[in-house]
Amino acid sequence: MQSHGVLLPLRGPSSSLSLSRHLRRQLTLTSFHSSKASTRPRRLLLPVASAAFTVSDGELETRGFRVRRSSDGLDVAALNDVFARVGFPRRDPDRLRRALGHAGGAVVWVEEAKRGGGPGKPVAFARATGDGVFNAVVWDVVVEPSLQGMGLGRAVMERLVAELRRRGVSNIALYAEPRVVGFYRPLGFAADPDGIKGMVYSRRNQKKR
Amino acid sequence: MPFGVSIPSPPPTYLVHHLACWFQVSNKCWIHNGLSGFVPAKRRAMVLPLRASFWDSIKSGFLKNNNSTQVVEPPSTFMEEEDPFPQDIVLLEKNQPDGTFEQIIFSSAGDVDVYDVQALCDKVGWPRRPLTKIAASLKNSYLVATLHLISRSPGTEGIDQKQLIGMARATSDHAFNATIWDVLVDPSYQGQGLGKALVEQLIRVLLQRDIGNITLFADNKVVDFYKNLGFEADPEGIKGMFWYPRY
Repeated sequence: MQSHGVLLPLRGPSSSLSLSRHLRRQLTLTSFHSSKASTRPRRLLLPVASAAFTVSDGELETRGFRVRRSSDGLDVAALNDVFARVGFPRRDPDRLRRALGHAGGAVVWVEEAKRGGGPGKPVAFARATGDGVFNAVVWDVVVEPSLQGMGLGRAVMERLVAELRRRGVSNIALYAEPRVVGFYRPLGFAADPDGIKGMVYSRRNQKKR
Repeated sequence: MPFGVSIPSPPPTYLVHHLACWFQVSNKCWIHNGLSGFVPAKRRAMVLPLRASFWDSIKSGFLKNNNSTQVVEPPSTFMEEEDPFPQDIVLLEKNQPDGTFEQIIFSSAGDVDVYDVQALCDKVGWPRRPLTKIAASLKNSYLVATLHLISRSPGTEGIDQKQLIGMARATSDHAFNATIWDVLVDPSYQGQGLGKALVEQLIRVLLQRDIGNITLFADNKVVDFYKNLGFEADPEGIKGMFWYPRY
């Protein structure tokens, strides 16, 4: 993934509201205690339509890519193919469908327009889980390898984040392999803020009592 | 600290058994989730192993236990076999000097009142959040686990005090990943290993439901706590990242 090198917050009418690193938000994390804020600034909900993405839906359309914002019409087998080509494990299709269908989740994907119409294959994808009000976690961000470096990964991430923020979710997290930390940074993500660590459970790690 | 970094001195006394005998009690105490009314009856069935048939217990043993060749024991352990996945587990039992009988119960049923949740958040010093949002966050969580203290005073037959003393929840895609949030233990009850038990039971339930990837984000001060529970920070160098976090 090419990093653009510059921290680019989402542009748009709300840019007058500080979107800098000092944007005050409350984190709801395991054991994280934000300082008491008796008054919290009202957050301006960023409507998806007026958010200025790096590349607009229309521009993507002219290049033959259609932005999709739900899992309707998503070819799960084709998505599994993309997973395999980027080195992710293939998922059981039924479980993948279940993951895509559950309430509270958000999905953004890019469809490669097929000549003559009809459903096209997914070439970029990202999904998020969460509670719909406080926290969200982004999973399975992939771009078809032959189409990487064109901004499609950025396109799905910008839109997914915009959708989550539109819903009022203030805490958006993800787990990044070392080689893609640089991809997420210009999108506004920071690693280990305040020393907070992402952790994963491993059965073999459990200490015997 | 909002959350008990339980540095447990004595190891927790674990009395893990089913809640069959307390079903009557729980009917009275576990009234309802604050906003959504009474818990549907089918959930109660999980907590009521009393009348399960012998054949049901064998069937569930074969389907769900790893050792499908396990022989069903004679009646003394029959209760254990009946309900392999109890929702409620008694973690501690204590008879107080004044005769009060106390139990600390873990539940994955998510029967929790939003006002109790808010009170618990107050106790650990978290900033207030709108009740509607708390309710929504619970409703949209894949799993809400609670610790309740049940107290029965002598001479008040059938009437129990029930107090929420711990809570944790997990969001999930219902298939692959779960993330644990908001692990809370009432400060008055910290230091006894309850936080540990809460998270351990939560993990147990998630694994039972075949959610293979269990994750969380840990404040620096509690990373070791979670390491002791089997969590690994930055596995294979993978970093937790947040969108424009407040520093």
